Amino acid sequence: MRGGSRIRTVRELRVSILFLAIVAVLPYFVIVPYWRGVLIVAMYFALVSAAWNLLAGYTGQFSLAPAAFAMIGGYGSGLLCYHFGISPWIGIPCGTLAATVIGLMLGRIVLRLRGPYLALTTLAFAEIVRLVISNEYEITRGDLGLSVTPLFEHQLNYYYLFLFLLVVVQIGLYYLVRSRAGLYLQAIRDDDLAASGRGVNVVLWKTVSFAVSSGICGLAGAFYVHFIRLASPELGLILQTGLVIAMVVIGGMGTLIGPLIGAFLVQLSSEALREVGLSHMLFFALTVILFGRFFRSGIWGGIDFLRDKWETRSESKEIMEAGGSE
Amino acid sequence: MLIFDIIVTGLMMGAFYSLMAVGLSLIFGILKVVNFAHGEFFMVGAYTYTLLSLNLGIPLWLALPCSFLLGAVVGWLTERLLMRPLYDKYTTWSVMRDEYAIIVTFGLSLFLINLANQIIGPYPYRGPQLVDWSRIEIGPLMISGHRFVASLLASAMLAAIYLFVRYSRWGKEIQAVAQNRLGASISGINSTRVSSIVFSLCGGIVAFSGGLLAPLFHAYPAVGIFPALKSYVVVVIGGMGSIVGSIAGGLLLGLLESFGAVYISYAYRDTFGFIILMIVLLIRPHGLFGEKVREV
Repeated sequence: MRGGSRIRTVRELRVSILFLAIVAVLPYFVIVPYWRGVLIVAMYFALVSAAWNLLAGYTGQFSLAPAAFAMIGGYGSGLLCYHFGISPWIGIPCGTLAATVIGLMLGRIVLRLRGPYLALTTLAFAEIVRLVISNEYEITRGDLGLSVTPLFEHQLNYYYLFLFLLVVVQIGLYYLVRSRAGLYLQAIRDDDLAASGRGVNVVLWKTVSFAVSSGICGLAGAFYVHFIRLASPELGLILQTGLVIAMVVIGGMGTLIGPLIGAFLVQLSSEALREVGLSHMLFFALTVILFGRFFRSGIWGGIDFLRDKWETRSESKEIMEAGGSE
Repeated sequence: MLIFDIIVTGLMMGAFYSLMAVGLSLIFGILKVVNFAHGEFFMVGAYTYTLLSLNLGIPLWLALPCSFLLGAVVGWLTERLLMRPLYDKYTTWSVMRDEYAIIVTFGLSLFLINLANQIIGPYPYRGPQLVDWSRIEIGPLMISGHRFVASLLASAMLAAIYLFVRYSRWGKEIQAVAQNRLGASISGINSTRVSSIVFSLCGGIVAFSGGLLAPLFHAYPAVGIFPALKSYVVVVIGGMGSIVGSIAGGLLLGLLESFGAVYISYAYRDTFGFIILMIVLLIRPHGLFGEKVREV
């Protein structure tokens, strides 16, 4: 890592707060309910992407199950609401808890696996969950999905609710990443053997990371289900996971702000492209390949790199002007 | 003779699974990465076979090799354009090669699905059957004619791949690189060329199976997802990187599914494979026949 990872994280937090502040005033300019809805969906994806980024970008656990955990969270709340008429305000914490606990168990199980093995196991898990939900028609109403009660009447309430969640998650992730625990996670990502040699409890922190990430996915999914008023197995499709990966890779993996940039950029421009009549997914898939191939650190990585270059240049200029004294 | 019926159905499906998966396994053997665009090579084959024979009236026995060829071209391009950073020793990606491979092949998969959607459209095309007989009776068994011929072709193809890798010069080079890339390079094998060959071969095989199964699976943009998932299960059961393993794994999965569908639950027949996949990865990560995983 290039120097000053802490300064880097602070900078990322500042930019994300600025970014979210802009999002907060957007409804005053965006009046059309459709586009407000698009922004809410973007915030949902930003939450899931941020959660996946914690796992894949910071801990190096390339899971293919974020969409499945969002689905678990959504169904946790949706089932309680549909069958027992329990208020979403109780159902959503239950859904989140369910996703966290299942994430904890899966994290514990896949502890020893890495790389392609981990990816395949989580993929299998995601498919099993989705197949169970679409097959258990008596309980989950299969592919039709559960219709659930909305949280609010007004769309703007959802908007600020999701914004609030995003701010909380972003600040929470900031404190997590810059804390000792965050350093443990990154040490595990870079080399888990060396990390455990240095006294990091690899088992514990890998599991914690998996559970926290799944919990955030579940939270996002639970709220999202009440926003679209439908819990359906489509939430957990592999293509949804693909979208999340695309967002994080485009924004910048392993950075706080990357998932935010990626989610908003992909979601908004895909709507814009749809209006023009182009296949937006084609465009993003190509972008993901190109970013993966040529700019591994995503958009934020590019910005950061340019900034670093500029700073070093101005620093060295100052040193030159001061007579080159070391 | 229900049980006999189940076994034959399972083995035929198993032969298809083996054929789909063997390419994935070979790629893993060479590069130690999983190709997540595997299913889209299948789609390429299914479309080639279907569209060539339906729209251009090309005879079926010629359309199948065309599937193979186009699949090989796509595989070759994939390797040439996307897989090269994996051999560079001194880049960031050589540290995070698994992530790189997953991201790029996942992106490729999305790209090809949406490309097909854009160019050809989302509607499924039903591939023409290889033979006219709808049913064949063999003793007490009734088998669909196309399935029977297709499973024979699949078995022949599998045998050909096995012999090719085992005895031909290129095949021996593939084995050498799979065992030790550096060692193979030192003994004068062009490992980059071997990777190209493997990718083209695998693309070709999968696309061939796509053409072969087009009458069963049809051809539509997302057709590859199902075969890809089955292939992951097969290579994990059989052990990644082993040809015999993927053949055995495919047959095992086919039998398991046809028995499970009858005796356990028809609705859940697709989950059995995933459950086996998880169990195998957790208990015996190198599969039944595969190489040992060095880092656990």
